[in-house]
Amino acid sequence: MVRSSVTVALEWRANMRGFFARRGAWLITLLLLLPAMASFFGLFFYPFMVTVVLSLRPEGEAVGWTLEHYMAFLSDPNSRNIVLLTFVLAIGATFFSIVLSVPLSLILRDKVKGHRFFRLIMMIPLVIPGLIGALGLLVLFGNRGWFNLFIRDFVPFVQGPVNINYTVPGLILFYVWLYFPYTFLTTLGTLEGLDPAIEEAARVSGADRWQVLRHIVLPLITPGILSGSVLTFMAAFGAFSIPLVAGGDHRPLSVEVYKQIDMFIPARWSRASATAVLMGAMQVIFLSLYMRFLKRETRS
Amino acid sequence: MSEWMIELHEVSKRYGDLIANDRLSLHVKKGELITLLGPSGCGKTTAMRCITGQHRPDEGRVFIGGNDVTDVPTHKRDLGMVFQNFALFPHMTVYDNVDFPLMIRGLPKEQRRALVADALRLIRMEGLEQRSPRQLSGGQQQRVGLARALVYRPKVLLLDEPLSNLDAKLREEMRFEIKEVVTKLEMTAVYVTHDQAEALALSDRVAVMKDGRIQQIGTPRDIYETPRTLFVADFIGLSDFIQGNVLAIENDRARISIDGLQLRVNRTSDLTVGQAVTLFVRPNNLELLDAGAETGENVFEASISKMTYLGDTIDYRVILPNRQELRVQTDGQRRFEPGSEVLVRFPPDRCHLIAESE
Amino acid sequence: MNTLKGFARGIWGGKLLLTYTVLLSLTLFILMPFMIIFLKSVGKDWFGKRWFPPTLTLEWYEWAIEIVHLPDVMKNTLIIAALAVGMSTVIGIFSVWAFGRRHLPGKEILMAIILLPRMIPTITYALGIARIFYGLDLVNTHLGVALAHVAVCAPYSILILSATFEALDERVLEASAVCGANALRTFFFVTLPLIMPGILSSMIFTFSTSYNEFTLTLMTYGPDTMTLPTRTYLAVGEGYWEVTSAMSVIMVIPSLLILLFIQRQVKPEKLVGGFKGV
Repeated sequence: MVRSSVTVALEWRANMRGFFARRGAWLITLLLLLPAMASFFGLFFYPFMVTVVLSLRPEGEAVGWTLEHYMAFLSDPNSRNIVLLTFVLAIGATFFSIVLSVPLSLILRDKVKGHRFFRLIMMIPLVIPGLIGALGLLVLFGNRGWFNLFIRDFVPFVQGPVNINYTVPGLILFYVWLYFPYTFLTTLGTLEGLDPAIEEAARVSGADRWQVLRHIVLPLITPGILSGSVLTFMAAFGAFSIPLVAGGDHRPLSVEVYKQIDMFIPARWSRASATAVLMGAMQVIFLSLYMRFLKRETRS
Repeated sequence: MSEWMIELHEVSKRYGDLIANDRLSLHVKKGELITLLGPSGCGKTTAMRCITGQHRPDEGRVFIGGNDVTDVPTHKRDLGMVFQNFALFPHMTVYDNVDFPLMIRGLPKEQRRALVADALRLIRMEGLEQRSPRQLSGGQQQRVGLARALVYRPKVLLLDEPLSNLDAKLREEMRFEIKEVVTKLEMTAVYVTHDQAEALALSDRVAVMKDGRIQQIGTPRDIYETPRTLFVADFIGLSDFIQGNVLAIENDRARISIDGLQLRVNRTSDLTVGQAVTLFVRPNNLELLDAGAETGENVFEASISKMTYLGDTIDYRVILPNRQELRVQTDGQRRFEPGSEVLVRFPPDRCHLIAESE
Repeated sequence: MNTLKGFARGIWGGKLLLTYTVLLSLTLFILMPFMIIFLKSVGKDWFGKRWFPPTLTLEWYEWAIEIVHLPDVMKNTLIIAALAVGMSTVIGIFSVWAFGRRHLPGKEILMAIILLPRMIPTITYALGIARIFYGLDLVNTHLGVALAHVAVCAPYSILILSATFEALDERVLEASAVCGANALRTFFFVTLPLIMPGILSSMIFTFSTSYNEFTLTLMTYGPDTMTLPTRTYLAVGEGYWEVTSAMSVIMVIPSLLILLFIQRQVKPEKLVGGFKGV
């Protein structure tokens, strides 16, 4: 094939124009990303670094390096309980959210009468400030609340008020109230994404409802549920407002951090920062282990 | 036990105002492959769902193997089903998919292994047992679907548009494969499709459906050559329709008039003189002759208005003296240019009268 | 095991009754905290173990308005939310535009980075934000609190908008170009109308996030930037349960309106689904 010099020249010009156009595009792309980058670095990365640096400074000083705050936290006999409590609350809330979400999603998937209304109700905790949920639950489950009145009037053989507020099971209950919609919505989404023909195929093959659920539906939705439950776990691990007002003596890590600057005068910023950094590290480590486990499970 | 494997007795099913099945009756012999054919919304899928038990008919009864199963749940009806989108269990291997019905039935392990191996051999999928359905091509997936439906030798095999999701070439191959397997195992099968070529190629009998009722049921040949309603004639293959009136009845022929033109054609039994009828003829059964040729019975002058070259045939649009347009397909031995005058011959044996007018 | 199976089958059989028992008890579990708060906010002399308050009153609402200065608090909350929504939406549109409409290498990594603030407990960077804002005199200003909110709102906005942009059919834009529209016209007459619902739902969700944000507000607020959640928290400490309840009732109303809107406009299941794998 003979290519005339004119075609070559034209191609070259087109290429050059493309190059400049691409460079222009690059500039625009960078400009468009600038606000997001500014907010990411200015409002997340830099503050996070400030927290880290703060945690390494002697209390109240702007110079010098020390690990004393980490040592203080790690050697405090109370710390073990705090970490344990945080994980118990987060894992407990996640577990019971799943236990609650699966039957609920199975019911609501069938489009029973009024399913729209019930879906709406189940989403309320998503849009409500956690604080208000905590207040309402505290009143509801208090010694003079409806829950204990119900037990007094209708449940035989149970003596006196049942203590729920300011206990660990009570906190888990409150967490579930506030955070289960994440798990519920992902579970429902996974269920509705299932191909109905697959269940029909199992039915025609001779499986009854229970067998379809056990052999087909549950194995198929488990990966979706587990990855959805990460959201509930993250929210519960970092929960702040509920344990702050409804935790009583049970202080998970987030409240412990806040306590350092709220209850001590002068505020112990460095100790608080060290605790916060440890908290962040724990969450990231736990989540990545969980994700890795999930990936392996779904692959096999 | 009655000779029928599947019986639908006057089955009706409504969705609100929509009538999906309207007093539908269907009888399927043991070992027969019957196709429910019709456009979407004709009620063929609903009819199948009444057989599987996914729907309970509002009225009427369903029998399988002579037993009334109207109120028997799906999983106890002893059926096998092949789905349009394959519906393999994505979390199981090929082996486990085929094994599933046997596992549910609680058969002993050894027997299960033998049956699965048999089924996989039947569809020529040996060696792929440990594959996941995602690793298979569409055709392979549907073969696994077929094996899963057949492995426990159900009384009835149901196929719900099993080839619609495959590409054209594969579809044709799979057609014969399904036919072969079903014949080999002497299965009673109900096949739902909207593809007439598939229906004609596969079935022992075809039931053409419209508006929730069966329009005509018969062998593929019956359906194609002697359609009993305009809908069936129109739905299957190409057709020309001409409105006319019965002039006279002579032995096995009827004389009809179309705007003054007279035609002698095959007679259907229930005709009366003066009745309005529709003449139906396949475009490739009409003959085109040179304008100068001798005229005779059933030969009319006409002019070519359009010609389309289709490869193995040539498709003409022809205008009759009464300004009616006809479609004529010839094998292309003799060519006619648009605008030229020709003669059209209606072979009496190839023309059929349908006792209804449009 | 067999008895258990039989039991489960039995439950499955009596499905309808069980279905509604489960649904109604869960509904009650979710709604009762609100009911009891509402009754507390309009009840007087509700002491001792009684099911309902003996007399009704609007006194606590007057208290909430006069003593707790609820209108001011409401005003602060709305100003801060409006600022946060505005900034996050602009950030969201710009970055999603860059993500979707330009060929961008390392897009997944960039997205993961941007969503990072949602994966780490808020309090870890809230501490840093507080320290920085003290230094910049941004604490106790509307802009400062709003900026702090942007830290969590912007990733949310990006997440929602990127779902909208991904749903946008590029061929429609090409069609517009083929029809002779330049980039600007295409954006205003084709792209914008198509992504408007997405922008709207992003604004609604970021508003809800800012409106409910507690941790970041607690670290950056002051007497002039008291928001509803912080004021409610302080009121709990002050021990006026009735007034707190009245405030809570007022505060919940916008949230419920938002919920109704969300339910009608977008499928929230989709949005939560967007977190998957993060």
